Amino acid sequence: MIKLLKIEFKKIRSYKTFWILTGVYFIFLSLGIVMAEFIINNMVDNMNRHLPIPLPHVNIFFFPDVWQNIAFFATIRYVLIFPAIIIIILITNEFTFKTIRQNVINGLSKFEFLLSKLYLILLISVVLTLFMAFGSLIIGLSHTSENTLALIFEKSAFITGFFITILTLQIYAFFFGFMLRNTGLSIALFTLYALIVEPILYYFLKSPIVFKNDISTYLPLNAVLRVTEYPAIPVLKKVMGLNLQEKVTLGGCLLPLLYSSIMILIVVWTMKKKDL
Amino acid sequence: METVLSIQQISKQYGKIQAVKKLSIEVEKGQIFGILGPNGSGKTTTLSIILDLIRANEGSYRWFGEEPSKESRKRIGSVIENPNFFPYLNPVDNLKIVADIKDLDYNDIDRVLHLTGLHERKKSRFRTFSFGMKQRLAIASAMLGEPEVLILDEPTNGLDPQGIAHIRDLILLVAGQGTTIILASHLLDEVQKICSHVAVLSKGKKLFDGKVSEVLAISDSFELRAANREDLISVITTFPGFKSLDSSKDIVQVFFKGDVNPGEINTYLFSNGITLNHLSERKRSLEQHFLELLQNNK
Repeated sequence: MIKLLKIEFKKIRSYKTFWILTGVYFIFLSLGIVMAEFIINNMVDNMNRHLPIPLPHVNIFFFPDVWQNIAFFATIRYVLIFPAIIIIILITNEFTFKTIRQNVINGLSKFEFLLSKLYLILLISVVLTLFMAFGSLIIGLSHTSENTLALIFEKSAFITGFFITILTLQIYAFFFGFMLRNTGLSIALFTLYALIVEPILYYFLKSPIVFKNDISTYLPLNAVLRVTEYPAIPVLKKVMGLNLQEKVTLGGCLLPLLYSSIMILIVVWTMKKKDL
Repeated sequence: METVLSIQQISKQYGKIQAVKKLSIEVEKGQIFGILGPNGSGKTTTLSIILDLIRANEGSYRWFGEEPSKESRKRIGSVIENPNFFPYLNPVDNLKIVADIKDLDYNDIDRVLHLTGLHERKKSRFRTFSFGMKQRLAIASAMLGEPEVLILDEPTNGLDPQGIAHIRDLILLVAGQGTTIILASHLLDEVQKICSHVAVLSKGKKLFDGKVSEVLAISDSFELRAANREDLISVITTFPGFKSLDSSKDIVQVFFKGDVNPGEINTYLFSNGITLNHLSERKRSLEQHFLELLQNNK
């Protein structure tokens, strides 16, 4: 594992595109989180114009809700697309440069090559999760005056949810990259699917006119997004009695894990069969 | 002799195109084995199969007498088709990746860069290299860690005459240290100058293989002249092994089946009352042989 990660690190260390995209991703991620409270309060202001009793402004960064809110804003569709595109580029580059052929010639098995990319995905997920956990902790501490350990960590399971989301989404990208082997095509089809095709399918499948039972939750990307589906906005809970999502469920995590496992198996099988 | 590579009856089909057809090749330790054939004759496909890039439809191969594995590939240095490296990395970083895969340390990188004359450019990105330099880096990467076998696919492709001479010297130097070399080329001249053994491929089939020196020793024809031209022609046609003759010129050119000793011809003609005033053996070059083999297989 260390050997394969060492090789992967050499491949990305002086790769400008990777670092620029990672930088942009971090900017988006941080901006998204910083702006979240502002956006929500803006919405509250808009609603207040039509309400007889105005709603108070919300604070979404106190314990324990900070875990849920940051996990939610860090995994909205438009932000998630970044790590996916980075993974697609790193994988399809190997086909464009034919370095996958050279790696196999030099003595890496095809399976080891797949493993090296999976280890990289795992490493990126762990690093991102640690970053998010640390960030949430700092933000939470600076927004909450009275802290007890029990209160701080009450909803920290959402960090696990973030990890599952970021991990499985990158595996979806891994699948697109290895199946299509072409950078432009993989990015275009992945983005098209994530931002256009699946949302359309989602509303189509959700409609009770079409299907009696709602099967929209089984859509692959939707399954990932549902792990941390809603933010925790206390004012909605208090005033409207809406409780959108209380916790990260095991069932919610299992479905994207199942999908990504199937995708890994398909990639392994295809690589075995197909010539390089 | 120790067999390094043994290919048994491999075939590969791409749709309707038969790229390789029941090909068998044996390469012994220490040989400089040339795989010679025109473009599209299945050279690269064959090399890709024995390096596990492509699956053969049938047949098998063994490296060092063992079932092929990633471990056997670590003992081989190869250049297949174009040089494949990360364009944004310098040669040292590119070679470090190769060293990591092959479980080598980085000490040898400097040596191979010096050998291939790339040392001054060790800080430039691969992208900025000329084609000749890319090709040389590929050879440097193949030579990293002094592998037991070197596989080179058209190694002098795209190089200038000086570069070609440099690479050929390098190949001979490495061969001199006992490394087995497998060299695919469409250049007869190259195979003739470098290789000890050769297999000639055409349309995925092996037409011929053997020692290069033996191929070159096959006599093709004799040029004969005698005072009485008509008698010479009538007598030589009765010589056992006679095939055909060309009498359009003053000198009569005679072709024989198989190997013929000039002494036998002289004795035979003399005993039949003909005194030659000219007898010369014309050896056919590998090139002629190659073209003839291709011709016969059409």
